[in-house]
Amino acid sequence: MMLSLIQEKIKALGCEVWELTEKTERGWEFYFIRHELDQNRITDVKTYGVTLYRALPDGFLGSASGEISPGATDQEIEKTVSDIYFQASLVKNPAYRLNDKAVVTPELREVDTAEIAKNFITAMQEVRETRTEDINSYEIFVKEITRHYLNSNGVEYTVRYPSSMIEVVVNARTEDHEIELYRMYRSGTCDQAKLQRDIEKTLKYAKDRLHTEPTPKLGTFDVLFSTDDAVNIYSYFANKTSADMIYRHLSDWTAGKEVAENAGGDRITMKAVSALSNSSADYPIDDEGAAIKDRLLIDQGVTKNNWGHRQFCQYLGMEDSSIVRNIVVEGGSRSEQEVREGDYLEVVEFSDFQVDPMAGNIAGEIRLGYLHQDGKVRIVSGGSVTGQMAEAVPTMEFSKETEQYDSIVIPRVTKLKNLKITGIA
Amino acid sequence: MKAPFSPYLDALAPGMKTLTEILGRSFDYVSVLSTDSVGFSVSISQRSKRVSGKNMTTERGNVVRVARNGQYSEYAFNEVPERIEDLAEEIEKDLQRQFDLMALTGTKTYETGILDDEPLQLFVEKETERLPEEEDMKVLVEKLTELSGRGMEIIPRALDCMLNASSTHISKMFISRNRFLRQSYVYTEGSCASYAPSDDGEIKFAHEGVSGCCGPEVLSGLSEVVEKLPKMMEEVLGSEKIVPGEYEIITDPGISGLIAHEAFGHGVEMDMFVKKRALGAEYIGKRVGSDLCTMHEGALCDESVTAYVFDDEGTLAGDVIEIDHGILRTGICDALSALRLGTKPTGNGKRESFSHKAYTRMTNTVFDSGEDTLEEMVKSVKHGYLLSGTQSGMEDPKHWGIQCIIARGYEIKDGEYTGKVVSPVVMTGYVPDLLGGISMASTDRKVDGNGACGKGHKEWVKVADGGPYLKTKARLG
Repeated sequence: MMLSLIQEKIKALGCEVWELTEKTERGWEFYFIRHELDQNRITDVKTYGVTLYRALPDGFLGSASGEISPGATDQEIEKTVSDIYFQASLVKNPAYRLNDKAVVTPELREVDTAEIAKNFITAMQEVRETRTEDINSYEIFVKEITRHYLNSNGVEYTVRYPSSMIEVVVNARTEDHEIELYRMYRSGTCDQAKLQRDIEKTLKYAKDRLHTEPTPKLGTFDVLFSTDDAVNIYSYFANKTSADMIYRHLSDWTAGKEVAENAGGDRITMKAVSALSNSSADYPIDDEGAAIKDRLLIDQGVTKNNWGHRQFCQYLGMEDSSIVRNIVVEGGSRSEQEVREGDYLEVVEFSDFQVDPMAGNIAGEIRLGYLHQDGKVRIVSGGSVTGQMAEAVPTMEFSKETEQYDSIVIPRVTKLKNLKITGIA
Repeated sequence: MKAPFSPYLDALAPGMKTLTEILGRSFDYVSVLSTDSVGFSVSISQRSKRVSGKNMTTERGNVVRVARNGQYSEYAFNEVPERIEDLAEEIEKDLQRQFDLMALTGTKTYETGILDDEPLQLFVEKETERLPEEEDMKVLVEKLTELSGRGMEIIPRALDCMLNASSTHISKMFISRNRFLRQSYVYTEGSCASYAPSDDGEIKFAHEGVSGCCGPEVLSGLSEVVEKLPKMMEEVLGSEKIVPGEYEIITDPGISGLIAHEAFGHGVEMDMFVKKRALGAEYIGKRVGSDLCTMHEGALCDESVTAYVFDDEGTLAGDVIEIDHGILRTGICDALSALRLGTKPTGNGKRESFSHKAYTRMTNTVFDSGEDTLEEMVKSVKHGYLLSGTQSGMEDPKHWGIQCIIARGYEIKDGEYTGKVVSPVVMTGYVPDLLGGISMASTDRKVDGNGACGKGHKEWVKVADGGPYLKTKARLG
């Protein structure tokens, strides 16, 4: 009804190129303090996204977008659409075409938010806690997302998928000291066993966090990443292959480009995949109406394909591409045990580990690390890790074994060599 | 002119009052927050241009809060049926399904009393020169395009020059049994960012912004911002890596604000006190900084991007002195947390949008000025850095660790700038050491509202922070 009304208004303006997206999000949320329910919430929100295009002189294309609420009146819809169409005349971008290949709408999935929420709640209730290591609080978010997309080229589809998130804070304490660790997990539905396994590992880290010594001034040192912080490292590679970054001169990783010259470490192979079980983005058609295909992005350290929004892909001459949501990085040549050989600092808790997607700068304050040095392991805290991806990539090592973090599969452990460690001891 | 309150919300008010009355028959407490905020966002660069009627605060929707037997529940929606009775029935039915799940899983309630609902009527339309919905977008796009071109001319090696602008006319209405509050105001922000390759191919970045609780007129300040970027870019292009260590530092007002925000902004959000997640709860009345350290928090502290009149739980905005001459006096608090802690809410209950939960959140977090000049502060430094340019920060309320990533450090030796610039700089440390080390503060003060703040790694809201130049010591790497 609303979509038809919006289309009528678009037609009345004489606009011939457009995209509409009706998005419905139905969410169940539960907020716990310890295991007592602080608040329960329901969200039922629908929005209509409108993007209008118009041809401009000299081969340019104008576009502008906006959002319409389901409660909008006829006059409000008309004004919003009219404003968007006018604004499209102000924006001069090189011309590109919307997707025009028909896509097959997959069978709509049944998403049982109540059942998924129940699984999260019972999983959390069953986590093995002790008198000194336990759960402080957690927040559960379960959504059923339905996206109905259509454009002026006749491309139309609807997808429905689950998207979940749980934020968990754990404590560990001695008689006179208490610490906390923070975790956020995203997924499609609830994998109870995996969630419990990771939280119980985090409880062990929390116990160790109570007995740290100050991180020594190590100068440059090898750093091992074995938690979801490593996702930031691999997101750097994914971003560098995006058409958006290339078009903006922020990356030159086009087909044939080696991601690191004279690489002596493991060479990365990264694939975009159309389906990834229990990813929170497990749907086969992207937001712009393109079918998502499996695509090799980097093969043994050499860029093979790029990906991205339709606009930037076309600017780079790529007709057959899509927005990437799910990524698989192949394991390396060595086992986890082999990567762990020698001296290294394994940091399992940062304040906020960052890899700048443009500059490649690496930075994070160490909250909990295990310093493996001279055959001994010391538990350390404080100071920071800094470095540069361009310098770290040629010698990076990663394990054969892999681990999935929501929409990305990465090696279970990754070692970046010769990062700077600002110690405090 | 006044920023006019939304006619849509005025028309909706009778229906939402009826909804609170109907739900009031089944629940001990009922309130509704309704929002109708319109605006724009524009992004212009040499490579791509974008205009949208949507930005991070545009929205239209409602959230109902109810309580029964000590259990608080919320229902957020943006479709309002003709018969409000149908809506009330739907809300009760859906929430009952969640209560059934609670029973099935044996979940206990974190019991909380009934929120204060003292009678209050309020209607505030704040002043603005212009409204985003009436802005001449043609003129704005042309101006930003011109500035992007100007940036490309004057910024060395610039690969691009991006101009961003967004403005929102916010209207919010809060209804409970005894309260009827309405407010409207406009906030606007704009920024210029450029990036360029260094000699070794590393991408360097420079940016600066303008903002305020005002209309798009503030965007005229972007012309001046663009002229500042060439010097910033030259500095980062010629920058070196810092030798890690502890240094004397002078923070510019932006970095002072970042410290305020990360140190005792998040550290005294009192919903964290309820969860026993903040060390601050144990330090009320104790020293956490030097005598020169006084810090305010509240929507009334500055006419910034978050200068509202009442918060998202219907509590009037405040101005709290969190740290008074080094002594931690109090925190900031949302309404539910205040009830649980037996204290008063401070007007800091904020939501990312109508569909998100309210948490204790910051508004303006600002250090007070001191009596020193920047020149005197620089003269006093034996070896250290003046830090400028916020990139990011992260708090640790439980252990009072702090991490700030800063764009530029200007070396000072024996009271003089050496001309050497380091970039980027990671500042880490223990908050009481950082604040306890404050030995000088400048007479001037500036508040910046170009950033957004998350709670953990989600729930993004507009915040502002600032202060004077401060001199202290910190670990840099």
